[in-house]
Amino acid sequence: MIAIDSYAYNNKLTTIHPLEKSLFAILTMSICLMSKTMITPLLVLALMSGGIILKAGIPGRILTKLLAIPLSFLLISVLTIAFSFAADPSGFWFAHTFNSITIGIRYPDLITAINLFLRSLGAVSCLYFLALTTPLTELITLLHKMKVPVIITELMVLIYRFIFVFLDTATTIRRAQLCRSGYVSTKSSFRSMSRLFSALLGKVFVKSQDLYNAMAARCYTGEIKVLTKKHPVNVKNYFLIAGVEISLVLLNLLWR
Amino acid sequence: MSELILEAVDLEYCYPDGTSALRKVNLEVRKGEKLAILGSNGAGKSTLFMHFNGIYTPSAGAIKFQGQPISYKKKALIELRKKVGIVFQDPDSQLFSASVFQDISFGPLNLGLSEEEVMERVRKAMLDTETTDLEEKPTHLLSYGQKKRVSIAGVLAMEPEIIIFDEPTAGMDPRHSLEFMQLLDKLSSEGKTIVLSTHDVDLAYSWSDRLAIMYRGEILAHGYPGDLLTRPEIVKRADLTIPWLIETHSELVKKGWLPPSTPLPKTKEDLFRNIPFKKEQQSA
Ligand SMILES: Nc1ncnc2c1ncn2[C@@H]1O[C@H](COP(=O)(O)OP(=O)(O)OP(=O)(O)O)[C@@H](O)[C@H]1O
Ligand SMILES: [Mg+2]
Repeated sequence: MIAIDSYAYNNKLTTIHPLEKSLFAILTMSICLMSKTMITPLLVLALMSGGIILKAGIPGRILTKLLAIPLSFLLISVLTIAFSFAADPSGFWFAHTFNSITIGIRYPDLITAINLFLRSLGAVSCLYFLALTTPLTELITLLHKMKVPVIITELMVLIYRFIFVFLDTATTIRRAQLCRSGYVSTKSSFRSMSRLFSALLGKVFVKSQDLYNAMAARCYTGEIKVLTKKHPVNVKNYFLIAGVEISLVLLNLLWR
Repeated sequence: MSELILEAVDLEYCYPDGTSALRKVNLEVRKGEKLAILGSNGAGKSTLFMHFNGIYTPSAGAIKFQGQPISYKKKALIELRKKVGIVFQDPDSQLFSASVFQDISFGPLNLGLSEEEVMERVRKAMLDTETTDLEEKPTHLLSYGQKKRVSIAGVLAMEPEIIIFDEPTAGMDPRHSLEFMQLLDKLSSEGKTIVLSTHDVDLAYSWSDRLAIMYRGEILAHGYPGDLLTRPEIVKRADLTIPWLIETHSELVKKGWLPPSTPLPKTKEDLFRNIPFKKEQQSA
């Protein structure tokens, strides 16, 4: 989580306009999800990995780790699709019969499963591309420009900031407890944990009041108005995106 | 003496939990001066500051701005806050956005300025606080001192007439705190009124035109730094220490190295200049 966030601010694609990156990621993801062939998702996966590792300069190790997170979850769901039970052993591509029940894989199911697996992985890689190259603050600004209700974007701004403030507080408290042997036994662990939560809750109240005061001191009137740094719009990128997306769509349509 | 701009009159404040944080506080801030508030932990400095732009409403007494008691109506408060800016003690409670640029632009945008003008002011504030190279970083990855500088920039960009800093140099390294003090001198020479709170007696002594010493919700004394900080009874009572410049100076006077008529040094350089060469060295 935190690693993704840090990379978002510190990669070689930060200067690219967030709209270009979002368009690229979201269009590609949609096409990937709609594809009926296996080639498109594989291409998308390669494209996004290339973008993340070569263009954005994020270590491949990190991407592998991130892709491994949904992998186990994906595998389980895919296996349940691939395998089926039946009384009649005919029609299986690969099967094993116990007593009277046959467990096995039917060929079309296998294809569906692999297809689903690749499509999901391709889509995840698109989202990682966006998350790893675009800071959340810029995405929020983008949402704001796309006329998403202010209440949602403002809440996102505050929540995003405060996740880190409280994470910091919680880490500090936990470290202090560890230093004073707060977690040596199960009993003391529970006690320390409960203290941590109550301290954190108290902090939430105090900090939110402080924040309100500090914003009021800067003439806050109920609407958070901020300026964002302008990113240069690069027309070449739009052509590039269009080129990639059109080729992917054609591939989807023509490859049967 | 220049005109009064901000004033606390018999100010009292009680926190909801019953802590009486301010007791009959009287303080005058004059236009264009550099006022330091010295006080130990819990003396009530931050509480007092919260009154200066109407964040807290006093339990008794009043705050006067340009001679008029301030109004706590919404519109009036906004007008007041355009003129009186406060940099809070804890940068984490002041920075609301993860983006440095967004956070600094918040105040000036609230003043109703045009985007270009806000841009210009943000740039200038970032230059003044040396935060330009932090712009790309999210606020949660900044160090404490860096956050502090960003929160200072957020108030500087509003260009208020009076700027109040709550322990601005706490957590800053020596170079940045020195540069910050120089920035304060620059602001002061531009005609801004500056109030700051600190525990640092040396800093308060060298920097300020006038000084107030707070202790347990009361103002023990206020006046010129040279007059107050040479009186051990006040300094002791307020849990403070005498600035090293004054201590060294009086020791030198006591032991006969300096004539008793030597003026108190305001800075290290003054003190060194006062110390005479040894006779043999001079003739050699
Ligand atoms: N929100 C609060 N609720 C109750 N009491 C408070 C609150 N904030 C501060 N106090 C109390 O009010 C008194 C004055 O606190 P204040 O924060 O003004 O001190 P300070 O001079 O700024 O101290 P420091 O140098 O530590 O920042 C203290 O006794 C403190 O415990
Ligand atoms: Mg304080």
